[in-house]
Amino acid sequence: MDAFIHTFFDIGEMLKVFPTLLTEGLKNTLFIAVLAALLGLVIGMVLAMMLLSRSWFLKFPARLYVDIFRGLPAILTISLVGLGLPAADIRPFGRSPIGYAVLAVALISAAYCAEIFRSGIQSVNDGQMQAGRSLGMTYLQTMRKIVVPQGVRNVLPALTNRFIIDIKESSLVYLLGLTVGQRELYFIAHQQQAISYNSSALVAAGICYLMMTVPLTYLVNAWDRRLREGRRSLKLKPATRLSEV
Amino acid sequence: MATTSMQRPDMSLTDGAAIRLRDIRKSFGSIEVLKGVSLDIAPQEVVCIIGPSGSGKSTLLKCINLLQPPSSGTIIVNGVELTAPKADVNKARSTVGMVFQHFNLFPHVDILQNVAMALTTVKRMPKREAERIARMQLERLELGALIHKRPADISGGQQQRVAIARALAMEPEVMLFDEATSALDPELVKGVLDVMKELAHSGMTMVVVTHEMGFAREVADRVVFMDDGVIAEQGVAREVLTAPRSPRLQEFLSQVL
Repeated sequence: MDAFIHTFFDIGEMLKVFPTLLTEGLKNTLFIAVLAALLGLVIGMVLAMMLLSRSWFLKFPARLYVDIFRGLPAILTISLVGLGLPAADIRPFGRSPIGYAVLAVALISAAYCAEIFRSGIQSVNDGQMQAGRSLGMTYLQTMRKIVVPQGVRNVLPALTNRFIIDIKESSLVYLLGLTVGQRELYFIAHQQQAISYNSSALVAAGICYLMMTVPLTYLVNAWDRRLREGRRSLKLKPATRLSEV
Repeated sequence: MATTSMQRPDMSLTDGAAIRLRDIRKSFGSIEVLKGVSLDIAPQEVVCIIGPSGSGKSTLLKCINLLQPPSSGTIIVNGVELTAPKADVNKARSTVGMVFQHFNLFPHVDILQNVAMALTTVKRMPKREAERIARMQLERLELGALIHKRPADISGGQQQRVAIARALAMEPEVMLFDEATSALDPELVKGVLDVMKELAHSGMTMVVVTHEMGFAREVADRVVFMDDGVIAEQGVAREVLTAPRSPRLQEFLSQVL
């Protein structure tokens, strides 16, 4: 039992890494996750519009993209982008691995966001599109002003869930070889564990992750509950058409 | 001339009719819902379309502004042929107001924005001007007190009147009503019908799909009875409703009256 506590909960070991975790790791984890999430949202929305298009030329590439990036393990995509692109002399972000890390997590996130947006937009009653079009608005105007805002509201919990996953997946970029100053939470703890053969640093990093993800999870649940209650009160009253009785 | 006639209203296309439908057919998969419907509607005329469920009356109405593009046939509204390959359908739609059975208000914005939105996006009006017109239109329908509420917070009858205001704000030349009172509680029906009556008396061209036989008898210039995808009988409202000729219409009226 002592060995267990010593291995996982050595306060001294934890205190050794906490300052670096908080000043460097947290900052970089959030930097990667937030940037990747934002980029993923933008690409995901474009993909969702393509998925909903009637044109095969738009729909097919989007479908292919979503199927591939949802189907691959995250670590493989991150390796392909972060190690593969620079090796192939494609270096939009120079030699710093952070850019590739953000891109890789964003590409994965985009595939999931695309499906989330698509389902959200499809959940909006068809009458909304008809109402917009009947007023003379174009398809894209109706999408932008009427359908998408409602669809996005319906999937805010799902998108927040995806952000939680982005935070966790950002830890996988450690394999791109981060230098001091670029290290995110996991890499810092991983290095410390390699030096001391003690897992308390990993537990410390875990606590940092949980401080972000657990509140977000509760936010999602509260949000979800509120949306579902809101929807119930919006329900239409049943038709009272005598001729159909 | 041939190229401009599609865009520019040319009332000679229809001998002055506001709406001309010629041999409209519409199929969903293998089911033919409209089997060749032709109908002319004069300016300021009020036409009620009645008929049993599934007779194609709502589909026909949605063909008029191309919410349901017909499989074949010709549609001319206000001198613009909408079925022409290069017709500006969006522009034409902005002159045809439509009111839906389930109101279809925009639940994510307030009542004022429900009415103002198309003015800013379609007519490119400045926000202030659009809101002024929206407010005026809402006040005309005695909805001025509701402008900052959301659709979910007002009654069905109020929602439907907002939907009418939203359509009228675009200053349409034709109004289409798709069972506008069918989803309302009985006590709320009258308020909406009153607005429609007033509109009819003001000279608006109206096509009204309805189950309200009282409204049809009182307000309509002409009643069109649809059955199984075709116009089975039509004529002056009072005559068609009180002395129907076809057995199908006699049977239909005996069920709804």
